[in-house]
Amino acid sequence: MKDTYKIAKEEILFTLIDILKDMTSDWDLDYSGGIGVETRLVTDLGFESIDIVQFVVAIEERFKRRRLPFEELLMNDGRYVDDVNVMDTVDFLYRHLNNH
Amino acid sequence: MNPTLLIGLDGATFTILEPLIENGTMPFLRDFINDGVRANLLSTANPLTPPAWTSVMTGRTPGNHGIIDFIWAEERKTDHYFTLYNFRDIKSETIWSIVSRQNGRVCSLNFPMMSPPPAVSGFIIPGLVSWKHLRRNVHPAGLYEKLKELPGFNARELAWDFDLEKKAERGIPREEYEHWVDFHIRRERLWFEITRYLLKHESLDLMAILFDGPDKILHMGYRYLDPQVFPELPTNWDLKIRDLCLKYFSELDGFLAEIVEMAGPDARIYMVSDHGFGPSWQVFRVNTWLHSKGYLTWKDLGDLDDKGRENAQKVIDRHFVMLDWGNTTAYARTTTSNGIYIRVAKEPGQKGVPAEDYQAFRNRLTAELLEVRDPETNERIIKQIMTKEEAYPGSNNSQAPDLTLVMRDHSFVSILNKTPIIYRRPEVDGTHYPQGIFLAKGPGVQKGRTIPQLSIFDVAPCVLYSLGLDIPEDFDGQMPFQVFEESYLQEHPCEIGEPTVPVDSCSHDTGKVEVDEEENKKIFNQLKALGYVE
Repeated sequence: MKDTYKIAKEEILFTLIDILKDMTSDWDLDYSGGIGVETRLVTDLGFESIDIVQFVVAIEERFKRRRLPFEELLMNDGRYVDDVNVMDTVDFLYRHLNNH
Repeated sequence: MNPTLLIGLDGATFTILEPLIENGTMPFLRDFINDGVRANLLSTANPLTPPAWTSVMTGRTPGNHGIIDFIWAEERKTDHYFTLYNFRDIKSETIWSIVSRQNGRVCSLNFPMMSPPPAVSGFIIPGLVSWKHLRRNVHPAGLYEKLKELPGFNARELAWDFDLEKKAERGIPREEYEHWVDFHIRRERLWFEITRYLLKHESLDLMAILFDGPDKILHMGYRYLDPQVFPELPTNWDLKIRDLCLKYFSELDGFLAEIVEMAGPDARIYMVSDHGFGPSWQVFRVNTWLHSKGYLTWKDLGDLDDKGRENAQKVIDRHFVMLDWGNTTAYARTTTSNGIYIRVAKEPGQKGVPAEDYQAFRNRLTAELLEVRDPETNERIIKQIMTKEEAYPGSNNSQAPDLTLVMRDHSFVSILNKTPIIYRRPEVDGTHYPQGIFLAKGPGVQKGRTIPQLSIFDVAPCVLYSLGLDIPEDFDGQMPFQVFEESYLQEHPCEIGEPTVPVDSCSHDTGKVEVDEEENKKIFNQLKALGYVE
């Protein structure tokens, strides 16, 4: 069971990093840290709200799932959060992609 | 298939085009109209770009295709969760898909809601996508690299600039008018170059290009182009801006001429708009009115800490409202929907209008709204109110507002917490009117005829007939027979065929994850350091 857990998280992480690299490859970012688990979408990658929308679409397309409850990731107590990092997104997806 | 060219002119209206033809700004359009058919084209109940163009692309009503507004939103605890409508929200098959699955090749340029692009046979470059995401959203993969080699290609100007659009919503500052018009001329040229490139190098059955500049120019410069509202004694400034606007339409006329010439004499050509334009002189602050009647309670931002207030400001900046949901029974969510949502209690004890009272509540609200009067003239300011069933008939209308308002000047409502409730604009502005344009020309099309008004839902059946395809039986639009010569119709009978096929909400090419070994190791080490793996 533990192995399945590990593999699933890795797969999600690899996919997210792949999406983010592809998405930002021609953005002329100042950020030079590479994309990893602690990368913050707004602070490090300069995401604006429209980029979050596209990120959500890209994730749903890649995992072939619609209407994942992204408000759980992007809102806290009914308000939008200031930033989200890659690992938060992995955890969120791990919970919901395995919750058929 | 018979080659067919569909040119979209966002917001084009005869009210503006006719004077431009008469004063010599658009000689090509004059000849085109003289050689073909023209009609007014009635838009969707709320004449707005996303639902209207999606109706052009699907032949279905917004209540069936499911695209209601720019923004898809749902209320949460103290805020809206919002996203933008996209291709995956379209619940009806598009003409691009219908043609493609019958072995035709299509090209769709700059049409909204086409992201992420479906895998059709041909090409799709969607509209309403930021330059930052354009490369990933063109079909097929590799097309973007070819576009980059075109002379003058500039993704930042070609794509949708959300910052610029936000600015435009609030009104372009006068000192930026010149830049705004020049920007849209350059942008149309970029779309024109792509159209030219694809027409030259590809064999296409259906080529469709949407020029959205008319809408942008008319929002800014309607008062300079409509002879009915242009000042009798114009200032030098008025004349300068009018000339700039004329320059835009003159350039557009040149692009249209070249595209039509490239399509060749065998092609049938259609020019349509998603809605018309007309003058607006008032603003109705509908949420302020709902508040004054006790239907809506604003959220008390004084209760919030600094962070909360900052957050609230962001929401308001995105043109949403901050409401006290527990004490709100009706509110307008977006300016563009011109609609009011009624908050119905989903279960007993929950805040909101009890389900059994919904009808009576809606009737009462409608009656009160119809009595809202201009304080200066005592005239009613709302000329029609449609229920959800009237404005959005269909099986995919769950996101539609309960009431859709048609203002006497067709203006969009304001949703902000401001007074006075009814505000007279200092200058006439341009806004969406329901009557757009329909033009057709080519083999079998009547010449020099003005025919009775068509519906925007009729465009898709007309395009499919033009291509030589059957019209799906579940289209909401009708075949506009008056467009064609009797002899052509007899030789090419119109056939009603199989219904459209269900849409696949995940039809985009999703790619595969490829991570090299070195990368894999690095990420694994990161996970390990964070305790996610042992």
